[in-house]
Amino acid sequence: MALDKLAGENSLLFIRSEQLFDWARRRSLWYMAFGIACCAIEGLMHASGPRFDFDRHGVFFRASPRQADVMIVAGTVNHKMAATVRRLYDQMPEPKWVIAMGACANTGGPFREYPNVVLGVDKIVPVDVYIPGCPPRPESVQYGFFQLMDKISEQTEGRLAARHGNSR
Amino acid sequence: MRPDTATVDRFLSHAGVSDVEIDSASMLGVVCRVAPAQTKQMLCALKGEGDGFDFLVDLFGIDTGEAVDVVYHLRSFSRDEEIYVKVALPYGADLASVWEIHPAALMPERECAEMFGLTLSGHPNPKHLLLTKGSRPALLKSERIRTAEEVRDR
Amino acid sequence: MTDPRHLAGHAGWLTPNPPHQVDFVPTSLTRAPTGVDTFDTERMVLNMGPQHPSTHGVLRLLIEMDGEEVVAAEAVAGYLHRGIEKLAEHRRYNAVGTLMDRGDYMSGIHNELAFALAAEKLMEVEVPRRAQWLRVLMSEINRIASHLVWYGTFGLDTGAMGQFLYAVRDREVLLDILEDVTGQRMMFNYVRPGGVVADITTSAVDKIQAFLATIDMYLDEHDALLGGNEIFQARTRGIGVLDKETATAFGLTGANLRASGLGFDVRRDRPYAAYDEMRFSVPVAEEGDCYARYLVRMGELRQAVAMVRQCIDGLPEGEHTAKVAKVLRPPAGEAYAAVESPRGELGVHLVSDGTEHPYRMRYRPPALYALQAAEAILPGTMIADVVVILGSVDVVLGEIDR
Repeated sequence: MALDKLAGENSLLFIRSEQLFDWARRRSLWYMAFGIACCAIEGLMHASGPRFDFDRHGVFFRASPRQADVMIVAGTVNHKMAATVRRLYDQMPEPKWVIAMGACANTGGPFREYPNVVLGVDKIVPVDVYIPGCPPRPESVQYGFFQLMDKISEQTEGRLAARHGNSR
Repeated sequence: MRPDTATVDRFLSHAGVSDVEIDSASMLGVVCRVAPAQTKQMLCALKGEGDGFDFLVDLFGIDTGEAVDVVYHLRSFSRDEEIYVKVALPYGADLASVWEIHPAALMPERECAEMFGLTLSGHPNPKHLLLTKGSRPALLKSERIRTAEEVRDR
Repeated sequence: MTDPRHLAGHAGWLTPNPPHQVDFVPTSLTRAPTGVDTFDTERMVLNMGPQHPSTHGVLRLLIEMDGEEVVAAEAVAGYLHRGIEKLAEHRRYNAVGTLMDRGDYMSGIHNELAFALAAEKLMEVEVPRRAQWLRVLMSEINRIASHLVWYGTFGLDTGAMGQFLYAVRDREVLLDILEDVTGQRMMFNYVRPGGVVADITTSAVDKIQAFLATIDMYLDEHDALLGGNEIFQARTRGIGVLDKETATAFGLTGANLRASGLGFDVRRDRPYAAYDEMRFSVPVAEEGDCYARYLVRMGELRQAVAMVRQCIDGLPEGEHTAKVAKVLRPPAGEAYAAVESPRGELGVHLVSDGTEHPYRMRYRPPALYALQAAEAILPGTMIADVVVILGSVDVVLGEIDR
């Protein structure tokens, strides 16, 4: 929804604040530059590189968790790392989303049998989108971000519908 | 590549190290086996004075089922030769640090000690390197990995 | 109201009067101005990582500083420890490559190759000549891809941004080639004991030819963009000097060792695969600083391109793999095989007990030794140079922690 196309010059546009925020949030999903392992090369480095250029979807990296909307868990999380992942998640401001990228973040991947490895990052933080692959291609990560955008708008619509139902 | 036993003998006799079992038939190369108490003396002897095995390629352990074999893989750039020193330590024994002879041993020693449940002595920073404090020594053969059932019902 | 304690510590600017005798105190001040005549600074411990944009992964550094100068530094590893050595004892020989790939994830081909060489030494398998050449070809392509990541991120560490995008641009082309041949962009599982898993495709040859047509120009561009930059040189020349003695004492290998003046290269001095048939030189620098490490790696990139050219021109005909059993059972014994990975000497010490699983696999991580060498030279440097030094030795945490 591009606002300038909908509304001409000197015109008024009525929109629910939720919808406006929703529109803004979906178009600027800034992820935290937090690469754990191999997936970081594909999902963070090549994603921001010239071929895939996630910036055109408003997806860009921030170095600090306090400025980030999305955490891409890109790699194996072990017991030493788990506390840090949780702490970083807690430091992110609301609203926040988590993408579990790759087999390791989903289930433990090829290292799931090692007792030191956490069996999926959803044991530590709530996950919104799971991306399979080892490592997933940058296209998969891109698709994951589209799924997350859809999910955000669905949540907004769901909230609006619920409130509408209540007021009636 | 592979030193002849005469060279090794010369290094050892020069420093007065005895009771060394030298196996030069191994596929690995020349492997010297010494008692734990003699490790430092042995490494010093092999290091020599500028012409010996002064480069520590690697340090690691092998759980043989009866003891932990600590392997020192040494190289000499000037001679272009490599040699292995093996020390059998009982489980839970003390791994004496050799960082004064080979500073390269600092981190591998920490790893070896935690992975095989050895204690580390004479080390400036004898903390765990990879695992968190209180973890089980993972590389011992007695340590199990997760079974397929445990992984499935995660 | 004045608290005389504030004055007591900074008697220097108030001399000759001792603090308790001072009768003139400006009443508007609740606290006396601190003296600036000395640089008596407090010590401070700074924690960097494991989430830090310039630590190249999940490395954690504890730095004790006096002002901007580092007094003591400790590198804390283990945030990516996932038991490659342990899990290898529970995998079949053909499947260990899957784990090895994910160790040093920048250069998977080298990791697989090291393991395959060790297994072949135990089994005494004769690898066909074409497979040897394909191994060299893919190794060198992987080396260029890995060095490009290093080049891009090292520039980021020194404060530049543009070269990163150019490095990724060239890397995409290389990943296309690797994907064409091996089927994966990063985790190849291509080199197996006995040979390689698939022959090179004609489309991959075309892609390599197209790549070779432009890469020399691009390498000149890279060299001018970063190495020719005055700011970059100011940030790296004379910084992080590792002399020959320190480098050998801490077990440094590879490009880092060659930048310190010791020209040991596993490819030349312990030839494996088809490196004894290749014509290449080994770049060596004497200074041992960050700029020397940059020069050596850029020199290696050109040598790697030359080797890719030789491989494409002279690729021998034949089989791409030897006839080996589906389930490998090497005879009991021990073998050590090393390859020259982009980070140094990557060794695999393999112990077999005659069963289908390795008894013990030791993965010699070159980056671990590079990390402890870097840790040792950090005291005495400035805080701004810490990331430059760490970036220059090229650490990959997947390999340090395994």
